[in-house]
Amino acid sequence: MKLWAYILRRVVILVPTLIGLTFIVFVLSHSGGPNLVLAEYLNPHLSGSAKQAQIKALIQEFHLNQPIYVQYFYWLLQVLKGNLGYTNTPIYSGPVSQAFELFMPNTLMLSIIASVFTWVIGMPLGVWSAVKKDGVFDQTTRIAALALYSMPFYLIALSLIIIFGVYFRVLPFSGTVNLLLVGSVPWYQNGISYPTHIFIIDAAIHGKYMIALNALEHLILPSLALSLGSLAAFIRLLRSQMLEVFGQDFIRFAYSKGVPEKDIITVHARKNAIIVPLTNFVYLVAFLLGGAVVVESIFNIPGIGYWTTQALLNNDVGGIMGSTLLFGIILVAASLAIDVIYALIDPRVRY
Amino acid sequence: MRSLETSSFRLSLQTLLRNKSAFVGTIIVILYFVDALVMEVYPKLFGITQPNSLVENFSSPLPLPPSFSHPLGTTAYGIDLLTSILKAIKFDLAYSLAVVLSGAALGVIIGVISGYVGGALDEFLMRITDIVFSIPYLVLALAVGFVIGRTYTSMVLALAIVWWPLYARYGRALTLSIKTLPYVDSARLYGMNGFKILLKHVIPNVLPPVFVQISLDLGTIMPTFSTLSFIGFIPNANLPELGFLTTLGLNYIQTAPWTVIFPGLAITVFSLAANLMGEGLRDVFDPRRRSE
Repeated sequence: MKLWAYILRRVVILVPTLIGLTFIVFVLSHSGGPNLVLAEYLNPHLSGSAKQAQIKALIQEFHLNQPIYVQYFYWLLQVLKGNLGYTNTPIYSGPVSQAFELFMPNTLMLSIIASVFTWVIGMPLGVWSAVKKDGVFDQTTRIAALALYSMPFYLIALSLIIIFGVYFRVLPFSGTVNLLLVGSVPWYQNGISYPTHIFIIDAAIHGKYMIALNALEHLILPSLALSLGSLAAFIRLLRSQMLEVFGQDFIRFAYSKGVPEKDIITVHARKNAIIVPLTNFVYLVAFLLGGAVVVESIFNIPGIGYWTTQALLNNDVGGIMGSTLLFGIILVAASLAIDVIYALIDPRVRY
Repeated sequence: MRSLETSSFRLSLQTLLRNKSAFVGTIIVILYFVDALVMEVYPKLFGITQPNSLVENFSSPLPLPPSFSHPLGTTAYGIDLLTSILKAIKFDLAYSLAVVLSGAALGVIIGVISGYVGGALDEFLMRITDIVFSIPYLVLALAVGFVIGRTYTSMVLALAIVWWPLYARYGRALTLSIKTLPYVDSARLYGMNGFKILLKHVIPNVLPPVFVQISLDLGTIMPTFSTLSFIGFIPNANLPELGFLTTLGLNYIQTAPWTVIFPGLAITVFSLAANLMGEGLRDVFDPRRRSE
């Protein structure tokens, strides 16, 4: 089969997955009756007969008097038309699609920096602890990785705050920027910067490099926290994979024909060992999303995770359905991407 | 036959005990269970009178550093940390066990059936597994919380729903590899019916690796569960629970870091111990997947 046919088949399989996921969450969040949906759209200033009329209109509009699976069908229809509904949380109320637009860039930035951290820290640690198996370096790395792996995620974040924010006082640990610096700038309002909504880039666009630097300082601790949580799994996987590759015949052959050890490690072993940690990338994405919820709440960063938490805690049905769909699409797309990359880089995979 | 079984048991025990980190891990896990048992049966042993709620002391509400009367210090509203952590371990352990055991039971049943029967049923069950697998646990926890209220029980239910696909996949993979072994074929040739083969040959061989997985997962579930209550999905509980205990000290993190460190450390130590124990058990039960 050709690669594109394989990709096409995978995409076709993804559609029922997304429908199933949103259906489950839709049924769960709408089974409590129409009140939650009504509360989202009802004008709070209305009373008496005007209120009753609006309730009737809303019931008509969202088909709230019909069974839930019919309501789901109508919801799906609206989503396909591009209408994701409304969200109503303390940090933002308005269309869900606009919430994505405002909050997603921050989370994206955080996740990208975190995965760079994971890669840069994890790669040498994983490779070297496999090369120096059972040595002091290996043992230390393994214990540290296991300890990190065992920590609840919020404890990692809080420890970083205590160490770097409170004890050494070198890094800020709340918000995206020092608010004193941005009190009067017109492109920053209600915690959201314009036009890209990523503070650093916006500050750079407007030529405020000092503010951009300050925003960068604010990003270090959250992204470090996010990456430390996923680092342990990455190191452990890479190490065990390296060891497996080292045990194979072609490595021994490379040694015996006199290839320098450095070349064996980088060219022969690492290339083969990286495949499994790479496929584990899906779990990394899943982890980053889940972790973003915790990290953004702790560090007060207006990202998608923070908004989702607010939606969840405020019984915001539109927000929940929106973030379910978004998380679902990201996870599913990541798993598709990894299968395709896997098929491309590993000639043994037949598709 | 009997002596062979005892000697293989002794060998397993020896393998476990020789692995020092697994041994230490097992001891710590046992200590946590002992603590939970004491809290359930006779809390006065540790001088605790109200094992199921946090005891506040409003006469000195601010967190106090560790001292002789409060070995781990106190957290907000004068709650003594050491006794609270001892109380909380029971709840965290019970909830984690409930999640892992119900998730594992459901998942293994589905996985074994799926792998053993195969065909269209396998395809159908695995599609469902994939769907549930792709649900982020936070989202499901919240959706479940909508329906039956945000309580500890509903969080357990939500996590169990998210956790079973892992076991379904694992159980299916194990079943598939066992199904092709010669002794299963020979049992079938002897005319043993399919259900009996499932009970007598497949399930007994699937369970040991699953138990290893359960002990490893115990170390993952407890941090996850406490994270849920840390974010605030379980409002105003006043139950001693380690995640909730951490949130109490959150506002004092700059002046009293011990309020967040000690409850978190209690989880970390357990999780670490469960992982070490699980890896040791894996070497015993499943030598093929031996940890490096």
